[in-house]
Amino acid sequence: MSAIDAEPDDILTPIKNTSWRWFIAFGVAAAIALVWLAAWGYQLQEGLVVTNLADWGSGGGVTWGLYIGAFIWWVGIAHGGIILSAAVRLFGMTRYQPVARVAELLTIGALSMAGIYIVVHTGRPDRLVTSVIESYPWTVQSSPLVWDVTVITLYFVMTATYLALTLRYDIVRLRHKMPKYFAPLYAALTVGYTKKEDQIIERMVWWLALGIIVLAPLLLHGGVIPWLFALLPSMPGWQGAVQGPSFLTIALMSAIAGVIIISYSLRWAYDWEHVLTDNMFRGLTAWLGLFSLLFTWLQLQQIITGVFAAPKDLSKFSFAKITTPEYIAAMTFIAIVLAYVFAQAVDKRVFSLNRSLAASFLVLMGTLTEKVLFVFEGLEYPTFSLYHAVPGHYFPSTVELLSVAGTASLCTIFFLVIVKVVPVVELHAVESHDDHDDHEGEEVRA
Amino acid sequence: MSTDESSESDEPRHPYETDESFHPMGKEWEDEMRAELEETEYDADLGMQMARDAQRLVAGEISEEEFYAEYHDDVEDEFEADERPIFDDLDGVDLDEVGDDQSMLESLQDVDLSGDDVSRRSMMKKMGAAGLFLGYSAYATHENEQDDEIPEQVSGVRPQGEDEREHRWGMVIDLDRCDGCLSCVAGCINENGTSTGANWMYVFAYEDDQSGQRNFLVRPCQHCSNAPCAKVCPVRARHTREKDGLVLTNYETCIGCRYCQVACPYGVNYFQWGEPDVEMGRLEFLDETPAEVQEMDAGDGFEARAGTYAEEGSDRHEALSEANDHVYDARGWWADSRPPTGVMGKCTMCPSRQDGHTDNPKGTVACMNACDETGMSAIHFGDMDAEIGDDYDRGVRYLERRKNLNPSPTEKNEADPEEDGFGWEEEGSTPQPRDDIYTQEDWENPPAPHDTSQLSTFKLLEDLGTEPNITYIGNEPGPDDEQVDPSTVDDIPGYEDIQRDIQWPVTVKDNRKHHLDYGAGGPPEDTESEEA
Ligand code: SF4
Ligand code: SF4
Ligand code: SF4
Repeated sequence: MSAIDAEPDDILTPIKNTSWRWFIAFGVAAAIALVWLAAWGYQLQEGLVVTNLADWGSGGGVTWGLYIGAFIWWVGIAHGGIILSAAVRLFGMTRYQPVARVAELLTIGALSMAGIYIVVHTGRPDRLVTSVIESYPWTVQSSPLVWDVTVITLYFVMTATYLALTLRYDIVRLRHKMPKYFAPLYAALTVGYTKKEDQIIERMVWWLALGIIVLAPLLLHGGVIPWLFALLPSMPGWQGAVQGPSFLTIALMSAIAGVIIISYSLRWAYDWEHVLTDNMFRGLTAWLGLFSLLFTWLQLQQIITGVFAAPKDLSKFSFAKITTPEYIAAMTFIAIVLAYVFAQAVDKRVFSLNRSLAASFLVLMGTLTEKVLFVFEGLEYPTFSLYHAVPGHYFPSTVELLSVAGTASLCTIFFLVIVKVVPVVELHAVESHDDHDDHEGEEVRA
Repeated sequence: MSTDESSESDEPRHPYETDESFHPMGKEWEDEMRAELEETEYDADLGMQMARDAQRLVAGEISEEEFYAEYHDDVEDEFEADERPIFDDLDGVDLDEVGDDQSMLESLQDVDLSGDDVSRRSMMKKMGAAGLFLGYSAYATHENEQDDEIPEQVSGVRPQGEDEREHRWGMVIDLDRCDGCLSCVAGCINENGTSTGANWMYVFAYEDDQSGQRNFLVRPCQHCSNAPCAKVCPVRARHTREKDGLVLTNYETCIGCRYCQVACPYGVNYFQWGEPDVEMGRLEFLDETPAEVQEMDAGDGFEARAGTYAEEGSDRHEALSEANDHVYDARGWWADSRPPTGVMGKCTMCPSRQDGHTDNPKGTVACMNACDETGMSAIHFGDMDAEIGDDYDRGVRYLERRKNLNPSPTEKNEADPEEDGFGWEEEGSTPQPRDDIYTQEDWENPPAPHDTSQLSTFKLLEDLGTEPNITYIGNEPGPDDEQVDPSTVDDIPGYEDIQRDIQWPVTVKDNRKHHLDYGAGGPPEDTESEEA
């Protein structure tokens, strides 16, 4: 158990107190989200012509761009989040227990944003449900996109189950202190609860965590998502077995960065120095560094094999990639993060919360840029490059760029709302495992 | 054919048979089935036998007809006349709709047991429950794997096998004859009403890196027999028509995800980013919804039941022909002419023509007609499965002829062109030149004779395993070859130059991105009017 001296009551602070800061944050986020929703409405009206996408080939553009890049970025955050929380539960990494639920909530929020991106990306969102369901038994045999949707849905269900199970425990014990107006919701969440289930649930959660960890490299960001690209024979930039590990490290980096940002905000807003401790942030920063290092290493692998004596199409792509200013910028961000993480490991005084926060933003910007570049540069340098219009050119339009701000705002709103409804730090994190039973008795009596 | 006969034969047995258990789920499962059957009043042996043979049906060891013939009487005897012979009913069940176990179950549910109010459960028992079930689940899987009978709206990704399919449409394009006049591009736009820059047929000059020689590449969709675009489509809107290998998009179900475009190695797809330039009302088509067209009677041959054909004389065919329809194919799918907003389009190889309900004959495509009109005849559309002398042999015939006009140096010395007639020999008959395609004079003064060595042909990116159905005559572009910058050449026609031949309000453009670019300047129409 972590050495935090927080009381169970502390985790209810956000539910009980709502400051002006909350309203400002909500207002700003809602305003941005509304602007984007209007832009999206415009896109629905005009068609995808309001993006800067175009046909590859004689068309001189790329047909997938920021929307797909942002889609895999959000999916990455989600998958990284759930892996993080599963690891905490499976390996008993109690130091990070206070952020386990944040990671799970992030998974739910990010998966929803990824889902929104699917809708935003398609030319005929009105047909999504009917067309996909009608043909599902056939397409699931051949279309990597359908595998994606299947797996994402599976993980959404797993995460939601996970979250619901662990929430029951907390809500039963804290319900009497939580707001009356949510009573029906709490009643629904805790329906049929008996004390006997605690142990069973703990075991179920453990097995779910095991399932997630085992399946992650196979099915999630290490498998199905990169296969969306890596299985196509004609885009050298996307091919290769390195895509799986590369996607997975990006997912973990982005998720840890996301968790740091959210926890930082929570700590700042609710004076949670004793719940979300410096010690925990140090640890998260170190993990961020580790995955950034792996990411850099995998990028190097790709670059070296792509420029040394690669086949023509691959080397064309690789040279283009390493000379793209945005790519250089993204790699510089990651390099700065690495430098900081190393420095703070060597000299503890270098560490500061603000620096870790900045590093997290850099990581998120770096991974988003990398993802978007991955998508459209891969398309810009196909094997069949005879066309004069290939490589095409692309820079996201305003409507596209707004979607990033819009989805980030929606995700923020999701968190702003959820902190008011359920405890975002689980009770287990503030009570000791050892005196678990006594404590529990106390709680219920209280 | 019965099981006994086959087990005596020397033919390699199916693994299910050599195994102790015939069922893929193993002996235990099989025993359970038998136990269940034993409980019913019906013949367990018969049930198990049927199941076993159903597996063999899956393995292709016996045919469907044999399976029916073998069991029809048995089943009738076993399940008594007043229960309505199951197989007669099954005959009525549309097997096209039987794609997976689920729909099979549903079909079985539809079987009316002569007014008896029997629960589904007891009905199943009466059918020799487990045995038949086992067999039919296998049968259904078989259907599914073979992809030869597909439920409506969900088509396959590969053409049928050579024996089953009707055609394999493709082209032989003689690049040596192409002079880059772009008539085919105009022909395609006129036929399909595609929007600005969506050049389904795209012709461009490229320079040989080594020799600096200028060549043309004529690039429609390759209608790949192993099309990656069809495989990846998440809704199977992009599909391969089993009967003739055409790779089409169902404009009604496409969700516009553009994965097909990403997966296609050739860059032949053009998405409908905004409103189409040509309104639907201006296209020629049967004024019914796709659902209504699909409802229409399509004749009662087997093909009609498989849902992919509309027999001549059938209601659907008549209606489509009367309307000179150019947006539906024979299945009643909206898959021809330009796509609607938000949907993927590309060269279709004119399916409404190939289904024979337009004024233009089957076996022709608009780009070829346009090319022929200029007298160049570089495009030769036809059935690539055809033998010379068959219908629609234009492509293979042309290729053969060109090969014979390009004998290898040794062959050249041996052959006597006078004696060999048209350059090939066929057993038992002398092939005749076909007036509909070639004039007699053409044959005697063949166009573009080559005095060089062997004919060089290629398919684009064949190594990728896409099995393209366009065969090019000419030299394959090398890896360093590049399209000549269209803006720098004025000795060949540019895309603007064919504008006068276009019947639609469509601006002919080469680079579509320039047209689409959605900068501060506002919607593309504005840019357009400035330029026009
Ligand atoms: S050329 Fe492209 S679009 Fe056409 S069938 Fe082949 S993969 Fe599909
Ligand atoms: S754009 Fe349409 S046809 Fe192409 S893959 Fe997506 S749904 Fe299928
Ligand atoms: S075959 Fe038909 S659709 Fe294809 S390029 Fe020719 S005219 Fe256009």
